[in-house]
Amino acid sequence: MSADQFLQYLISGLTIGSIYALVGLGFTIIYAVTRIINFAQGEFVMLGGMLSFYLISSVGVPLAPALILSVLIAAMIGAIMYTLAIRTARRASVISLIIITIGAAVFFRGIAGEVFPWGVDFVRPPYFTGGESISFLGAYIHPQALWIIGTTLVVTVLLHLFLSYTMVGKALKACAISPVAAGMVGIDARAMALIAFVLAATFGAIGGVVMAPLTLTSYNVGFMLGLKGFVAASIGGFKSPIATVIGGLTLGIVMSLAVGVDWGPFSSAYKDAIAMIVLLLILLIRSGRLAEEERAS
Amino acid sequence: MSESILETKGLSKAFGGLLALDKVDLAIEAGTITAIIGPNGAGKTTLFNLITGVYPASDGQILFQCTPLKDASSHKRAALGIARTFQNVLLFGNMTVLENIMTGQHTRSRYGFLGAALRFPRARREEEAISLNAMKYLNMVGLGIKAQHNALSLPLGQQKLLAIARALATEPKLLLLDEPGAGLNALEKRELSDLIRRIRETGISIVLVEHDMPLVMGLAEWVVVLDSGQKIAEGTAAQIQKDQRVISAYLGEEVE
Amino acid sequence: MLARVKSKWTYLVIAALLAFSILIPFDWFLGQYTVLMIFIGIFTMVTVGLCLLMGYTGQVSLGQAAFYGMGAYFSAILSKTYSVNPWLAMMMAAAATGAFAYVIGYPFFRLRGNYLAVATLGLGVIIHILLRQLGPGGPDGMAGIPYLSIGGFAFDNYFKRYFLVWFFCLATLFISQNIVRSRTGRALRAIHGSEAAAESIGINVDQFKVKIFALSAVYASLAGSLFAHNMAHISPSTFDPMASVVIVVMAVIGGLASIWGAIFGAATVAILKYELLLGFGEWDIVVYGLILMLVMIFMPEGLFVGLRELFGRWRLRYAQRGAEP
Repeated sequence: MSADQFLQYLISGLTIGSIYALVGLGFTIIYAVTRIINFAQGEFVMLGGMLSFYLISSVGVPLAPALILSVLIAAMIGAIMYTLAIRTARRASVISLIIITIGAAVFFRGIAGEVFPWGVDFVRPPYFTGGESISFLGAYIHPQALWIIGTTLVVTVLLHLFLSYTMVGKALKACAISPVAAGMVGIDARAMALIAFVLAATFGAIGGVVMAPLTLTSYNVGFMLGLKGFVAASIGGFKSPIATVIGGLTLGIVMSLAVGVDWGPFSSAYKDAIAMIVLLLILLIRSGRLAEEERAS
Repeated sequence: MSESILETKGLSKAFGGLLALDKVDLAIEAGTITAIIGPNGAGKTTLFNLITGVYPASDGQILFQCTPLKDASSHKRAALGIARTFQNVLLFGNMTVLENIMTGQHTRSRYGFLGAALRFPRARREEEAISLNAMKYLNMVGLGIKAQHNALSLPLGQQKLLAIARALATEPKLLLLDEPGAGLNALEKRELSDLIRRIRETGISIVLVEHDMPLVMGLAEWVVVLDSGQKIAEGTAAQIQKDQRVISAYLGEEVE
Repeated sequence: MLARVKSKWTYLVIAALLAFSILIPFDWFLGQYTVLMIFIGIFTMVTVGLCLLMGYTGQVSLGQAAFYGMGAYFSAILSKTYSVNPWLAMMMAAAATGAFAYVIGYPFFRLRGNYLAVATLGLGVIIHILLRQLGPGGPDGMAGIPYLSIGGFAFDNYFKRYFLVWFFCLATLFISQNIVRSRTGRALRAIHGSEAAAESIGINVDQFKVKIFALSAVYASLAGSLFAHNMAHISPSTFDPMASVVIVVMAVIGGLASIWGAIFGAATVAILKYELLLGFGEWDIVVYGLILMLVMIFMPEGLFVGLRELFGRWRLRYAQRGAEP
């Protein structure tokens, strides 16, 4: 692999890794506040992209309003999902909640595959600022990729500011540290959970909206995106947004390089399997820490 | 001197920065009833958890029948002959009273998946033996008529008796009872004392953690007092009642 | 041994069901549903394994299709490419799949709840990709898988295979029932009731969880092998992660820890898949999603089990009303 090729793979790795980071942030927020793993997280990404294409091409909404509207609709869907499916399950066991969120994921996927006029085909919304790749140090970077990476950075910074400097953000952090203590100082756990779901849906949808022009989208992209975002979140320990973002970017780069090497199992056909092996390794490494936490409680 | 069934030497346990147990030395004589008392947070349940292998000790040794237990897991210690009950009972709510006790016979039976799946004759014979033994322990604690009831349908006092029967079914040499008298009325406590004495008659050594002083003083042949993770006194019930250090530990005053 | 007294009515009902089932594959009766019934039998075998796993360890496996696929492919490859006797191929596949599940079970079950679920999801993805890339015929799958046969008698039509599959299915259910009513079953129920208490009476909780996981893998593998020797052609797309979700749907309908309820779960999904929703595109997974959500929100112990309890309480209230003056 030459230096130019390496740089190219690095760029594409950062690009896709940014999406993983956004998905991972969604997992992290919901888990930190509610201890729930939202298996439908990837579907919010799918919904963002699909809705933006629908609004722009079928309804004729101009670009910028369509993007904002897509994210808002997805956020609303997140709120509805929490209110109808999660909150009503009340004192549900872990296994119940897992199955409920999987049910929601599958539901969203099926609806998306049937309700939109293009069915199960791939679609591509228009680029934000044009389609010519920019030359950069011997490699090419597409403007949309810059949008993706830039948006992720902005979202991460905004999230950090939100968590550290606003009342709601600090309340969320309090819930993450100790739901019991947070309840005792008057923080409403259910309101926090709702906010967490809305934020997670928003981040996912932003990711979807910004990536769809570059990677295309269809009704079933949510599954693998969700899993890879989960890898990012587990690298971050489901606690630290910064670590999650680093995890996502790292995963993106690792996968991009693995495909670029194109030697034996390290090829495009196996890339998802590689990601899953990374996942299993991380879970294995973390399992020691998790087992200790379990026994202490 | 009679052989000690359980000994701890310099046993310590730290949870992060908190030292729950601090270099505790114990020697439990075989065939006796020993009580461990002390104010709340003294480390009594931690001691039980260390003996039964719920978590490893930070320092020190535990010897059961003069053999060090090292890192033996919880379920292996049950097979060795250490049984316990829990403060919050922890019955198997998805089974009947009898089935709870039959489950206690798990380590004293052998047939596995294959024997169960195909109902080999050995499996069927062992099942018969398990049933009979379980009935024996059920009757010993006086719950014979409740055999087919769901375990959680029993009132608390009887649930605690069931938990003891389940522990007895493991055919232990050492039985650890964690606050067996908590939540019982006076009559139930008297029946509990009788039961504990009857268990001792069968040769099982008993260690109990208790807060009810009259219950302890009437039963225990030896009392060990813990406070803030340390052993501060031990002796007969009469000696302990007069020990100045024990009194101030409970009352919170400084020792002169 | 706890005696189970059955009323005369129960025996009558069972006899009627048996007679009914034996007559199904005949053309003059319900022959057009023979293939459907074969699928129900195969699906039931996979579902029972997951019901037991979920019911007794409280953990979810989102990767059962991996074992189902392994059973299908191992048996197919051994019997077609290596000309191994299909029965032997089936057993070897089950042994290999079970051993594999046992080995990965220990590290997997050190994870809890969510993390274990994701790990099994990851496993499902990996196996699916491996089958797609390394399996004979690649993404198109392999054909020409030999039928099972006894001596000269080959199970070469749906009529014969109906009885073959249901023999295995019923055997699996009865064996599961034996296990649940035994010392092993009590240990499993104890683990479900209180892991701490189970350990304290000498039950090796970790080992049991891994064993039941391996058992669920063996069941899935046998079902997969039967599937391969029934369809004579298999392709990797049958064993994708979505298939694992469908298996969870069947288990959720059948009821956690339920054995005979698994038939109910398998039948519901098979009827949806092959009769009611055929040709409706992606609406089938919409229905699956709704089922998963609604059942787990309102009847978390499973639909069949929940309905049974509802029915029992209703009968009690009805009886009480009859007793009032």
